[in-house]
Amino acid sequence: MTIFWMVIVSILVLPIILFLAVAFSPKLLDQGPEWFTFNSFKAAADPYFVRSIWHSFVMGVVSSILATAIALGVAWIVLRTNSAARKVWNLAIFALLLAPSYLIALGWERIFERAGVLNIAGIDLPFVRDLLYGPVGIAMILTFKGIPFAYLVISNAMRGLGEEFEQAVRVHGGSRIAAFKMMATLLLPALWSGIAIVFAESISDFGVASQLSSPGRYSVATFTLYKSVMSIPVSFPLCAAISIILLMLIVVALLAQSRALRGRSFRVLSGRTRPITRQKLSPLGSIASNVTIYVLLILTLGVPVFGAISASMIQGLGTVISNYQINFDNYIRVIKSPLLRTPLLFSAEAALMTATVAVILAAISSRMLVSTKNGPGKKFLDFFLLAAVGLPGIVFAIGYIFAYNLPLAQKYGFHLYGTVALLVLAYIATALPSTTRSLVGNMNQFQESLSEACRVHGSNGIKTWLTVVLPLISRPLLAAWCLTYCGTLLELPVSQILYPPGHAPLAVGIDHALGNYDFGGGTAMEVFAIISALIVVAIAFGLYEKLAPLGWKQLGRARS
Amino acid sequence: MSNGHLVKIKGARKNYGSLAALDGLSLTIEPGQFMVLLGPSGSGKSTLIRSLAGIEKIDSGSIFLDNQEVNRGPINVAPEKRNLAMVFQDYALWPHLSAFENVEYALQRRKLGKDASRKRVETALERVGLSTKGRNYPHELSGGEQQRVALARAIVADPALLLFDEPLSNLDADLRERLRIEISTLTREIGATALYITHDQSEAFALADKIGVINHGKLEQVDLPEEIYERPTNRFVANFTGIAGTFTGKVKRVSKTSCVVSLGEDQLKVRHTVGLEVGQGVDILIRPAATSFNRDSTNSLAATITDVAYRGRGYEHAIATKYGSLTGVFDTVSHPRGGRISVSIDPDRCIAFPTETK
Repeated sequence: MTIFWMVIVSILVLPIILFLAVAFSPKLLDQGPEWFTFNSFKAAADPYFVRSIWHSFVMGVVSSILATAIALGVAWIVLRTNSAARKVWNLAIFALLLAPSYLIALGWERIFERAGVLNIAGIDLPFVRDLLYGPVGIAMILTFKGIPFAYLVISNAMRGLGEEFEQAVRVHGGSRIAAFKMMATLLLPALWSGIAIVFAESISDFGVASQLSSPGRYSVATFTLYKSVMSIPVSFPLCAAISIILLMLIVVALLAQSRALRGRSFRVLSGRTRPITRQKLSPLGSIASNVTIYVLLILTLGVPVFGAISASMIQGLGTVISNYQINFDNYIRVIKSPLLRTPLLFSAEAALMTATVAVILAAISSRMLVSTKNGPGKKFLDFFLLAAVGLPGIVFAIGYIFAYNLPLAQKYGFHLYGTVALLVLAYIATALPSTTRSLVGNMNQFQESLSEACRVHGSNGIKTWLTVVLPLISRPLLAAWCLTYCGTLLELPVSQILYPPGHAPLAVGIDHALGNYDFGGGTAMEVFAIISALIVVAIAFGLYEKLAPLGWKQLGRARS
Repeated sequence: MSNGHLVKIKGARKNYGSLAALDGLSLTIEPGQFMVLLGPSGSGKSTLIRSLAGIEKIDSGSIFLDNQEVNRGPINVAPEKRNLAMVFQDYALWPHLSAFENVEYALQRRKLGKDASRKRVETALERVGLSTKGRNYPHELSGGEQQRVALARAIVADPALLLFDEPLSNLDADLRERLRIEISTLTREIGATALYITHDQSEAFALADKIGVINHGKLEQVDLPEEIYERPTNRFVANFTGIAGTFTGKVKRVSKTSCVVSLGEDQLKVRHTVGLEVGQGVDILIRPAATSFNRDSTNSLAATITDVAYRGRGYEHAIATKYGSLTGVFDTVSHPRGGRISVSIDPDRCIAFPTETK
């Protein structure tokens, strides 16, 4: 356990604390003359920063409300009706969850940009382009990215909500709309959670900001933060102050959520809850629900995928040459050119390491979090994992630069700044909070008596873990590994800020290619990356199905 | 000759915050003895059994197994090194292992060969009547079958101490009775020392060589089942081991083991186990077996039948007297609700305790 705590403190706690502390006390870490000051916050009050923070706030509010409203409608169609499109949605939701926001934004850009796919096809829509590179485009992509998060929260709550509440409305004279309102009211905790989660995701998002935000047009806080840390000289106290303000916004959202629900009971799930019967839609309702789902899928996944694939197959995209050709040359280039191929291989290796280590640490952390022993260690871990979930990836990355570039770190032999090791450590640290949270639910279902039974029947702690705990959570562990792998493979903010010279990760490689107007090469890398991620996931689950003992595989399966 | 542990618990204390789960509890269980700890929820019985298993650590005091101190202060021998087995309330069967594998798991510590191990598992499953269910996973078994697998897992390695944590509480009445008999016979067959905790007095009396009644982390009485029933040392023990009702009165005459209590217009002769004085206020705790509708008895009270319930072998009546109500008054024939009747009280089966001052 000592090693575990050393790892947690060095990769999670120290970078966060040191970096945020410098906003108040620059002298503490040689970043200014004052021991305690609010000067950095005064600097953050510059209209340029205030405007970008305000923009972030507005984007967060708009996208969180829109995403939650859309997710509520989709959840109702998927869980409460016999709409045929519901099966497609269940598959698509995971693709949407895996796709980083910058890839969705890139797909839209490739279609609508000047000399983009539509342009080449002879269609020019400048007003759509103007909308895309501004608040409407940013809010739209953030909403798309927020929908799966809100959907997962709302659908889980809706599954536990029996239909008797709606039936009670109907038999007492209420209309269908009144019944839907009743259901929405009972789902308020989930709706508020959805809003809070999407708000936090949107505020901390860097992917959309990196593609669609710009100082001249519509700057958001994460983009401003990135620009500040890339400028010379870097003012870490100022960056820390902006980060604290961003964090405060997320805290305010969480407080608003808890205040809205305070003193009200929504405990509707009981042993007497009856399973729901799907509502049979009328032919018109059926068409409407299918159209809704398919249009949503086209907008969220179809357009970006089409944008990426079409762009990757067009030679000369983004240039003013006139004889565009459609072929696979860009893919061949990716395979042959080390400039394009190396980032993919590098990120695959880093993702492999990150996913493996993060899942091991997350398994231990989640077990500690659900432990009945309420010690200080558990509270400490809980606080920092929660804080890290709310911390934008870009802030994390800046915290890493700061903490591991300090003279103190150098003095004690931590020469990690600018190394692959630091990048991977940062990947692990950013992946750990969400991976841990994804495992907490499964760990919570694990009855303590199962491991106690191991101990009293002759197994020590390690054997208990190996023979009972791990098998029982093997599938969730595998899912967590795959999610972490895919997330790291396509990770942008930490990669952008911490990549060591000569080791550009995939997201940076794509960004460089696009920055050099090699749109075909960049998008071909995107497509390769996604296909490679899908292959890895397929291999992982395939191996599990092939090699795991029958008992492991039959856990949680529905009876036939 | 028993191969069971000699269990000694000395002054065990365990607190959860300000709540004392174990309050200086001491207990000895002889090798091969079947001890049942009987107590209400929150009395500390689960904490005690879990401390014996090594899953919990006591704050102070000590626990010995065969004169080896397994828990005191920093000393805490790991559960796997205590040579014991446990049947859990929720069965705690590992869902990813088949019934056979669940039982086999507990045998790993014996380091037997593959064939010997298989044979032992098969024998254990056969003993609990599940020889054909070895390949089934826990979710493919009924509640009773799951508990049998848990029982086979507990006995397969011939442990020196068997712990039972309310193992029958999740089962229906019929199954509970059948499994109770299996637990009783199998445990005695392997010769292990057993500690069984329950809040069900009928289960305790049916199983135990000795019963310990526990309340607020302290043992109120440890004795043979007959002694606990016939001579409870205090009101709690009498109350918790089954009474039909309580009357309040004053001692009129007192002898060495019995006394006459004035209830008002009537008098009852009853037993006492603690010293009483004439004029002292007492509560009479009446066992169900003390009551009958015997018209010839002199130790009787006038009553009205308030309810009657058919119980197969006869009828149990609830009655109201001037001094209080009694339940479980048995007769082979039914008496109509509202009917007036005389209820006789066997003096040997009702006990007077001084009235508690609040």
